[in-house]
Amino acid sequence: MRLLPLAFTLLIATILGLGVTWFSVTHSRGLDSVRVGAWEGWPRSGTAKADPYARAFVARSGELPLELADGLVFLATTDDAGKPLDGRCETRIVGVLPQARLWTLTVTDQDGNLIPNDAGRFGFTSAEVVYRDNGAIDVRLSPRARTGNWLPTGARPRLKVALRLYDAPFSFTSGADAAVLPRITREACL
Amino acid sequence: MTTLDDLRGEASEVAARGGRLLGRFFSRLPRPHVARPRFVRPRLGTPGQLLLFIAFSVVLGAIAHIVSILAMPALAERNAYARLSELMDSNVLTLLPDPTPQEQTLPMTDPAFISAICLYDLSGAPLKVRVPATADYTSVSFYTSEALAFYALSDQAAGKVIELDLMTSKQKAALPEDEEITAADRLVIESPSREGIVAVRAFVRERGMRELVRRQLEAATCTPSN
Repeated sequence: MRLLPLAFTLLIATILGLGVTWFSVTHSRGLDSVRVGAWEGWPRSGTAKADPYARAFVARSGELPLELADGLVFLATTDDAGKPLDGRCETRIVGVLPQARLWTLTVTDQDGNLIPNDAGRFGFTSAEVVYRDNGAIDVRLSPRARTGNWLPTGARPRLKVALRLYDAPFSFTSGADAAVLPRITREACL
Repeated sequence: MTTLDDLRGEASEVAARGGRLLGRFFSRLPRPHVARPRFVRPRLGTPGQLLLFIAFSVVLGAIAHIVSILAMPALAERNAYARLSELMDSNVLTLLPDPTPQEQTLPMTDPAFISAICLYDLSGAPLKVRVPATADYTSVSFYTSEALAFYALSDQAAGKVIELDLMTSKQKAALPEDEEITAADRLVIESPSREGIVAVRAFVRERGMRELVRRQLEAATCTPSN
């Protein structure tokens, strides 16, 4: 009679434990994250000191994380106000980028797939983008063609923007030396 | 060795953190209920029974969670190494197709870069990696077969040609120490695992330069050194 409750407890516990594991590897890229506005980065995931959650995430997703000495990725799925990035709306990314040898800004759908478009444009690099006089960038994410630095969103309901800084002189390993990253604001929605 | 030690260290850290959390959880539980079910015939529905059941589930669940997280790198079947080994042989540098909306060889690849991959197996001999600089930023990153990054070098740090020798700690120890060739001009990197991934990435400044950079990257090689 005792065996049944025991088996039941074990079953519940296993479901609970594996459920939390599944949730953490699908929703988090590691514990050791740095937040700058809407951007989130995981500098230690690209080192041999990556935490167990980062290792589990990388193993499950099949990614090769950027080595920290090579570059650093920041991802944004919301704007600065916390609203999810919507490809049916106009979103602007404005600001000065931290010092780095080069950077790339890529827009994808929420699963990280590139968004097909006639222009074949998936992002900007530091060499392609048009800068303002003060050195700031002004990139527009929009489902319709725009003048200036336009990135097509294909009207996807959820977007993910990746900012990759290559050969950057800072480490970002502590939150304190985090530089300022461009602001993300939502403008009109269709 | 060092990575193994790190892993062990981190595992104990996580376990300790979990233990502390559980300790706090238990100290809040009303004590008398916990001992009772041993003597009274268990009847589900009494608060003590329920609490015991919840506590057991949480503890065992936490254990299952920690074990599965730590085992994930070893158990994952579709990790980067597995995906890449479907496309290429070991110890040959292979250029990856450009990521498109329909297909990416590896998720979250930067479309502004051209990547080449060499899956290495050091069981035979150390590996020589030679990457001539391309028109722009070029980097070489090293990963274990579980996609843990352990070293990276860019063209700015290395000069015109990036030349590296990758070997296990045993092979490194067997290197003749007194010879001059082992010194300055050879960069020796120790791999924590016998198998792993070398990723060569070259930046394409403007889309028109893609073909040029691709051709330049074709000159890069990775070969067993004897």
